[in-house]
Formats: sequence, structure tokens, C-alpha cells
Amino acid sequence: MLTLEDVTKRYGDLVAVNRVSFTARPGRILGLLGPNGAGKTSTIRMIAYITVPDEGRVLFDGKPVGPWSQERMGYLPEERGLYKKMKVGEQLVYLAELKGLSRADARKRVRHWLDRFEARDWAGKKTEELSKGMQQKVQFIATILHDPALLILDEPFGGLDPINADLLNDVIMELKGEGRTILFASHRMEQVEQLCDDICLISKGEIVLQGALREVKRQFGRNTILLDFEGDDRFLDELEAEGLVRVNVRSRSHAELRLLDGTPPRLVLEKAMARVREITRFELVEPPMREIFVTVVNRQTQGTEAAGAVAE
Amino acid sequence: MSKIWIVLKNEFMRRVRSKWFIFTTLLGPLALIAFFVVIGVVAVSAMEGGERTIAVIDETGVLLPELEASSDEQYRFVDPGLAPDSVRSAVLAGVYDGYLVLPATLLDGEGEAVYYSAEGGGASVFRSEIAQRVRSAVEKQRLLRRNVPPEVLDILKERVPIRMVKLTEEGETAGDTGAYIVVGFIMGFLIYLAMLIYGSVVMQGVIEEKLSRVVEIIVSSVRPFQLLMGKVLGIGAMGLVQMLVWAALIMAGTFFSGTILSLFLDPERLNLPSDASQEELLAAARFTPPDLSPDVFIWFVLFFLAGYLLYASLFAAIGSAVEQQQDAQGLLLPVMMPIIISIIFIQPVIEAPNSTLAVLLSMIPFFSPIPMVVRVAVSDVPFWQVSLSFLLLAGTFVGAIWVSARIYRVGILMYGKKASLKDLVRWIRYA
Repeated sequence: MLTLEDVTKRYGDLVAVNRVSFTARPGRILGLLGPNGAGKTSTIRMIAYITVPDEGRVLFDGKPVGPWSQERMGYLPEERGLYKKMKVGEQLVYLAELKGLSRADARKRVRHWLDRFEARDWAGKKTEELSKGMQQKVQFIATILHDPALLILDEPFGGLDPINADLLNDVIMELKGEGRTILFASHRMEQVEQLCDDICLISKGEIVLQGALREVKRQFGRNTILLDFEGDDRFLDELEAEGLVRVNVRSRSHAELRLLDGTPPRLVLEKAMARVREITRFELVEPPMREIFVTVVNRQTQGTEAAGAVAE
Repeated sequence: MSKIWIVLKNEFMRRVRSKWFIFTTLLGPLALIAFFVVIGVVAVSAMEGGERTIAVIDETGVLLPELEASSDEQYRFVDPGLAPDSVRSAVLAGVYDGYLVLPATLLDGEGEAVYYSAEGGGASVFRSEIAQRVRSAVEKQRLLRRNVPPEVLDILKERVPIRMVKLTEEGETAGDTGAYIVVGFIMGFLIYLAMLIYGSVVMQGVIEEKLSRVVEIIVSSVRPFQLLMGKVLGIGAMGLVQMLVWAALIMAGTFFSGTILSLFLDPERLNLPSDASQEELLAAARFTPPDLSPDVFIWFVLFFLAGYLLYASLFAAIGSAVEQQQDAQGLLLPVMMPIIISIIFIQPVIEAPNSTLAVLLSMIPFFSPIPMVVRVAVSDVPFWQVSLSFLLLAGTFVGAIWVSARIYRVGILMYGKKASLKDLVRWIRYA
């Protein structure tokens, strides 16, 4: 179990992370979300013991993180890289040795995981000869090679084709099933919804939303309509002009609408039926994660601006 | 500690197997030999420079015969038999290499001889050769005027050979000082290369890791300090291996230097029969292979390591602060200055190894490696001086690695920003 207690990190005058506390439990995936520059990477680096907090504590299994926890942790950074001129096999063995594995043990595991990722023939190749997707897989192998109890995956699917993404997805779910603690950072909200059990949304260095994904969504209520149709879509403009809904997503034959101020769903359906040729889907759902993200982050930005105005 | 060892091993193995390493290790000594051959060829050709024909306009009426008599295969003095203006155009037309005007007052110790040529003064060897011949001709004529007997003139003509021998506490050694100077120069130069080239290798390694972002993974497994030390020591070990190979080759070289040198010596020039033995040749050329004590090599290795470590840690700090090699220039300058200054001063230090300048330079940590090794090679440096200099250097290294590690741990994680010297100072103070 990973626990952050009132963690604060400053760079000069800039407060990158401000009194952040959360807990990630074994066998669950915690989604670490937030806009660019929100303090995610700073937080992750403290968990990985790359940097240390100015205040607060980072605990893994109740003990402050340190070199001991680094050996039990695998980190896949968003900015990835490997030694270009080194051979894949040697590189993986080296990275595993740095995690405290013996050379023989490292070799055995490298072989196992290269097999699992259908990459047996790569061991003797230089990294720079591999495609980006292949390098991505090698990097993921480096992250899990030493059987870590804590995994930090920052955009793990970036650059992977659907087949490899599925393969990676399977492995991640397997690791979760084995009771590992997984931190998943991503800007791809559909992936977050698919994978995460819990979420923690950081903005401007502070936590603005956290909890179990299902709970969080329930809090926001069933106020979103998914609509698929054929025909004239001008009724959407009318609904929006009357202040009944806000259009979140709109394309030629699809719309995602947020009901405003208790607008009854049937009103939207009636308007649509009166105007379009055919309706193929009408569904009332909880807001998607992307919508929650945007709402919460905007609210916080406006809030701090308002607070700033009051202070002046 | 074991993590430093893993990094060290990896850095060492990765580099020792690289083409660059194999190439430079084998070709280094060849380049060094080529360097000295070029210097030798330049020196020799400057001395020879082909035959020069010099027209002499002699207003004294007595110097020309003297000069004509001194003509040899290199310098031929002739009477142009032309008016000064015509001589001038003859020189410009290339008939003569130049012309010498000797005013009548020269014999009274006044006025000056003037040499005119299309190429100006020429090399200093040529200049001193001409000056010497004119001077001895004038000298002889003035002495003759005073009726000095010819026997006295013969005495004045005599040359006294001089030989330089290095004096040490164990007594005088057989070696000629010239050989020690060569050894001192080579050692100073190697330290210079070690600090500069291996330092740059460290910097490149740091930049490469930062640029490829692999550093972020490494520091999630080891402390930045361990990575820094492993890298610096690993590349240092590579450098040491390279130096040892070179040292072995150079030692073999000095051992055989007599044999090699005798190939270039012409027995006839040294007034020896053409079937003269090697020993006779070398003795006549006044060359004896240097007899270096092991201390010289021990101090060389110690100063090599300490100097390298000091600069490598600073180079690493700079590498961590930039995105690309080109960005490093501005930050590199202050670090490179002492190295460059100490290589510039190698000549005065060799010539006067116990001068105040040499002693001072060889004591100040950032400068000391090169001048101290040179001094140890060419003279007998008191033990307290060498050891004090070494302790100061080692202490500075400890301080430098502390500062560098603090810059490094922040720098490697700073992307997309060009850091200034001020930033680096700020980073040192971060928690």
C-alpha cells in the first residue's frame, strides 16, 4: 500500500505539489489525472524516490520510501528512453541488475518477458534499430522485470497499435490480479475509465477530486444524454440557445449533451423527434470522465481566480 | 556501493568494446610519433631550407672575400658586380635569394648590416646563421686591423662542446636532459588529454542519458550520486586502461629510442667512420636514453586520476545542465580555462621547473596536474611539494564532486530549459 501524507514540493518560489494526500491499495489501479503542469510528474518522482518532499511523507507499506522501495517499484516515465547503442538483452539485464537482481536471475527473466511480448529475436538488436512501438514494449518489460510490488505507469499505451495495446492491457490486468499496487497516469480519459478503480485528480499542485471511480461518477449524477441520429441537427443549437443543455461533444450524427438546471430528458427527446429523420440511440448516462475532468479543473481555475480577486 | 559498481562495470564494458576506444588506443601512439616526426621534419627543413644565394654589396672591400670563403652548400655569398639598384631588381626577379648591404662603417663598430629579401627576415635559424657569419667576418677583420696574431684568431674560433646532465639526490643520471624534457612534455600532454577528452566523454555520456530520457529510469533505481560516481569511475577506468597501454608502448619506445634514433643519424656528419657502432653514434650525438625512476610513473598515475576525477565531475555537472552539446560552450569556458592555462605554461615550466611560477602553478589544485607531472619528470621535486600538491588536488576533488552531484541531481531532470551559471548555483542550494 502506498500512502502520501501532506506532501509538499517547492522549486524555488513555485509550489509544484501542495499538501497532497492519497492512498493507493494493492490489487487496484489508481488513476493519477491532471492537466499538464499540474504536479503529476513531481508527485510521481517523489513516490519513486527520485526527489524528496519538502514537507510530508511518502510511505510504502508503512515505511518511508527509499532505496529499498526503489527495488520493489517499477517506473515507466512518460518521457521514455533507452540506451540507443546498447543491445536490447544487455540493456534489460543492466536495468534489472540496478534493481538488485543477480545477473543470472536477470537473464532468465529477460528471456521470459521477451517471449511473452513476442520479442525473442530482439535481444541481440541495438535499441535504435527497433521501431517506436517495439521500444515501447522493451521499456515496459524493463519496468516489470524485477517483479515490483508497486507500478507507476505514465501513458503506457502511447505509440502502441491496437493489438499491442490489448496485449499490454492483458498484462496490466494480470499484474493487478496478482495484488500489485498500480498507479496509472494518463490524459486519455477513455483508458482511465476502462482501467482504473480509483482516481485522484490534481490541478495546480492540489488534489481537487479523489475517490473510487464509480463513486465519483455517481456524485456527478445521471445528467448526460448520448444521442445518435440521422438528419437535421439544428435543434441542438436551439436547445443550447434556450439554456436547457450544454453540448459537450458534437459530430454529424452524434451528440453528448449535459442537462442544465433540471431539464427533463424527455424534453430533449421530444425536440429531437420533432426535427430529425431518425433516432438510433437515446441514453441517459453518468458523465464521462473527460467531462468530469473539464468541469472540475475549470471550477478550480475560476475558484482560484475569484479568490485572487477577493484578496485584491 | 554495489550499485556504483554495477554502473561502473556497465560504463566501462560498453566503452571499452566501442570502435572509438579500440581505434584511439591503437592509433594514439602512432599519432604521437607522427606528431614528433612532423616537428622533427619541420625543424630539420628549417635548418636546411635549400641553398640560398646571397648577393653582397660590400662597401668595406674586405668582408666579401671572408663571406665568400664561408660559403657552403646552404649559403652561397657572391659578388653581383652590379650597381645597388640593379641588385635590387635582380633579387626581385629571383636571380638571388636576397642581398646583404655591408656599410664601410661596420669595421669601426658603427652602422648595421642590412639583409634585403622578398620574403623578409625568414626563420630565426636563417637569421642567426647570417648574423653569425657577418659577425665573425667583421670580428676577424677588426682583429686583423689591430695586428692580432693568427694563433689568437685560431683560439677565438675554437668551440667548446657543452653537455647537460640531470642531477638527482641519488647522484647524476646518465640521461641527457633533452630526453627528460621529451618525457615531461609527453606526460604533461597526456594529462591534458585525459582531463579534456575523458572529461568530454563523461559530459557526452551525461547529455546522451538526459537527451534519451533514460536517466529518469536509472535514477528510479539508483541515487543520482551513485550514477554520477559509477559513470565517472567507469570512464576513468577506461581512460586508465588506455593510458596504461600507451605507457607500455612509450616505455618500449624509450627503451628502443636509441636504436630508433640511430637510424636517423648520419655517421659522416658526426665525423665518425660510416661503419661506426650504435653506441659510438649515440655517444657522438650526445644522446643517452632517459633513466626514469618508478616514482615518476606513480605520480603520473596519481595526478592523472585526481586531475581526471576533478574535471570529470565538473564536466558531468555541466552536461546535466544542458540539452545538447552545443549549449554547453558557455558553461564550459570557466572550467576549461585552468586546463588551457596550464598547458600554455608547460614550456616555461619545462625550462625552469623550480621557478616560482612553476612551483606555484603546480600547487594550485585546478592547475596542478600538468605542471606537477612535468616538474616530476624533468627535475627532482621535493617530496613534500608533490604530496602537498596531491592532497590539495584530492581535497578539491572531494569538494567538486559534492557540488557537482548537487547540480547533477537537479539538472538531469530539467528538460527544455537552458540553464545559466546562476541557475547552477541555485540548484546547489536545493534540498
